[in-house]
Amino acid sequence: MSKLFIDIGSTYFKVAQNGKIDQYFRDFNKNIFDDLNSKCADLVSQYAKEDIFICSSANGGLSTLIIGLTNSFSLKYAINTAFNSGINIIDTVLYPKIEGESVPVELIDVVIVVGGIDSVKKVFDEKLLTYLEKVNYQNIVYVGSTKNAAFLEENLKNIVVLENIISNKLKIQEEALKEYLTDLYQADIVGKEDIKQLYEITSNQIFSTPYIVNRALPKIHERLDVADPFIVVDIGGATTDIHYSRDLVNDNILTENGYDRLVFKKLGVFKSRESLVHTAKNNEFVFELLEHLNVTENILEEQSEAATRVLMQLAIFLVLYKVSKHHGDYVELNLDILNSIVLTGGITKVLTQDDVDDIILFFYRKILHFHHAPTILLDSDYEIWTYGIKE
Amino acid sequence: MKVVTGVVGNDIHVVANRLIDISLEERGFEVFNLGVNTYLEEFMDAVIETDADVLLISSLNGEAEGWCRDLQILKSQYDFKDVTFMIGGNLGVGEMNPELLVPKFQKYGFDLVFHQVDLNEGLDRLEEFLEAR
Repeated sequence: MSKLFIDIGSTYFKVAQNGKIDQYFRDFNKNIFDDLNSKCADLVSQYAKEDIFICSSANGGLSTLIIGLTNSFSLKYAINTAFNSGINIIDTVLYPKIEGESVPVELIDVVIVVGGIDSVKKVFDEKLLTYLEKVNYQNIVYVGSTKNAAFLEENLKNIVVLENIISNKLKIQEEALKEYLTDLYQADIVGKEDIKQLYEITSNQIFSTPYIVNRALPKIHERLDVADPFIVVDIGGATTDIHYSRDLVNDNILTENGYDRLVFKKLGVFKSRESLVHTAKNNEFVFELLEHLNVTENILEEQSEAATRVLMQLAIFLVLYKVSKHHGDYVELNLDILNSIVLTGGITKVLTQDDVDDIILFFYRKILHFHHAPTILLDSDYEIWTYGIKE
Repeated sequence: MKVVTGVVGNDIHVVANRLIDISLEERGFEVFNLGVNTYLEEFMDAVIETDADVLLISSLNGEAEGWCRDLQILKSQYDFKDVTFMIGGNLGVGEMNPELLVPKFQKYGFDLVFHQVDLNEGLDRLEEFLEAR
């Protein structure tokens, strides 16, 4: 018997069986389970619970606060692990400056505390406890020096202590934290009324879609004609994700599967449309880009198919710009050596290959001063997620 | 004793970096080698994460002069009072006066500065410095 794969997105359901993928626009007047049943009840009933695999990006994910000792190691490693675990919302506090840091007002799903290799003593003290007293959080996990674990366990009742994510050679070791965060994500799903009903049709763990896509990347060559190094850009309704080969980054991280993820929370074309437009208007190259597309600034205010197409093209441009050497705030990818760009997500339903080629070539000419762009592939059937879910 | 080492700035002299790593280990130091092309902030962060006793920066193409100017500022942001800051290699570019280099790097905040000094001699001097300290 084959398996049935279901991806619950913020805009679409994707249902895959025997290599065939069907998509259904979400009906936001129904809860997810009822909506799925109204569209695919017959199909779902053909499969046993153990043969149905579900991933979801529709529950918003976990909000995370990371308190780390340094930017280059503790915070960097923990942020990297959190993104790769499918987490979207991350705040950070640099521990030596914790006394001057503001406290998040909203409820935090999980606080991650990290700092020091295992031989280092007295990394954290009363300052941490004073700060945490003011934070409204549900879970707390410690992944720093083992020499500090006892102090934290004595003073923070529910703290979970895991293997240090910083090895004794200062390298990243992310597996324990990654497993903890993905389990927590599942627990979060179980707690969310809208999604927990899905366990009526599956006996398998429901993972976050970004985590599944990240897991799919080492297998992408089996199905798509992709040359290393490559990036996968997932432009959806709520967020834009970039999954990238680590060969594109010059830094000190070496992760297990060689691919990392970045999230841009404010570059979605539906749920975060306003902030996308705002970002676009503040980009010095966008007006030239609009002229290149033969449209005016007014199109950004329109609600039309043409406007959506332009917004998606802008999203591609902006996300490449944000990871290029011209923008210091995000991870910098060496786009000069990039061989392939794979586009997936809702964007592939709106833009044609020509639309995408045009915008990426514009980016490479205008920003990087190249005469050619990497090979561009559209994952039109949005099948990348199915590679990761098959285990 | 723990030593954080590496090559600062846009400098890819990896052979020298490996020789320093091996020499330090031979002398019994626990070495955290950040490799080539390392920023000053990463060196400082590595010292904090490892609670290192020594930061040993090497530079062969003379770029250290530009890359290490902010050492005092970074030192003021954390308690580094027990850390020895050392730099060595080829520290000048072009027609500079070698005699001015050592005081310049000391002013930057380095305790030990070695311009075009043999590696083993530099490490002997480091050990003497640590012993005296």
